[in-house]
Amino acid sequence: MAYRVLIADDSPAMRSFVRRTIELSGFELSACFEASDGAQALALLQHEWVDAILTDINMPGVDGEELLRRLSSDELLRAIPAIVISTDATQNRIARLLALGARGYVTKPFRPETLRAELERTLGVPSD
Amino acid sequence: MAADTSIREALASAVADVLERMFFREALGEAAEPPPEAGTVTVNLTFDGDPPGDFRMRIARPAADTIAADFLGEDAESLTPRQSADVALELANMICGAVLSRVESRATFRLGAPQIAAGDTGPLAPAEENRYTVETGSGTLTVAIRMNTLACPKTETFVS
Repeated sequence: MAYRVLIADDSPAMRSFVRRTIELSGFELSACFEASDGAQALALLQHEWVDAILTDINMPGVDGEELLRRLSSDELLRAIPAIVISTDATQNRIARLLALGARGYVTKPFRPETLRAELERTLGVPSD
Repeated sequence: MAADTSIREALASAVADVLERMFFREALGEAAEPPPEAGTVTVNLTFDGDPPGDFRMRIARPAADTIAADFLGEDAESLTPRQSADVALELANMICGAVLSRVESRATFRLGAPQIAAGDTGPLAPAEENRYTVETGSGTLTVAIRMNTLACPKTETFVS
């Protein structure tokens, strides 16, 4: 099965890296959308369904925390699992974002296999 | 603030970790910090936390271009200056976040937006700040961090 993924990050370099990492890891993508902040991600979700969202925390405007809040408060969108990708590995922050509705958390720097494993765990994909 | 061994160790470990995991590049050991010169890329960012502070990174232009090419999976010759700058910003962001996660593991911090310092050829940071320089194979990378300690108000003794 191939999946539709949305990457929300204000860094074009990071969006490109995450996309390439997913593709090279062998994870099957049928579509990969990109948004430069939470507002753009929410706008895209009005007309595109995705299976998972990978989001940064620090973004201008609607940041990752606010994106998680808005996803959680939406009856339809709350079903989409969101994984946070962040440089912040402090336990307080991880606990806070999981409490806000994140289903997974990947700390930068990460290995490609870590990102794939977190995507598969979150989506319930059986391991090879 | 005097240099702190644990912060310096965190800088060295964070640089090695970020280069290896995200840029597929081995840190080739500590190097002497080169004198300020043109042809380098300098990135500044501030952070809030406990304590707040600021972080600076300076990287030789050839190293910045090679690292950007590795990160984006493109040839260094085909990179635009914007792409190279974007990757330098992300590199600084990741190293700073990794350092703070090591030294403030129980606190919450927030990184500001990294900024390229235009035409900056001055000293990266005062000599006493925590700093670390590494050889990347295509040039040196220097990072420096300053943690701002909040001054306690002086107590006064009143004699009646």
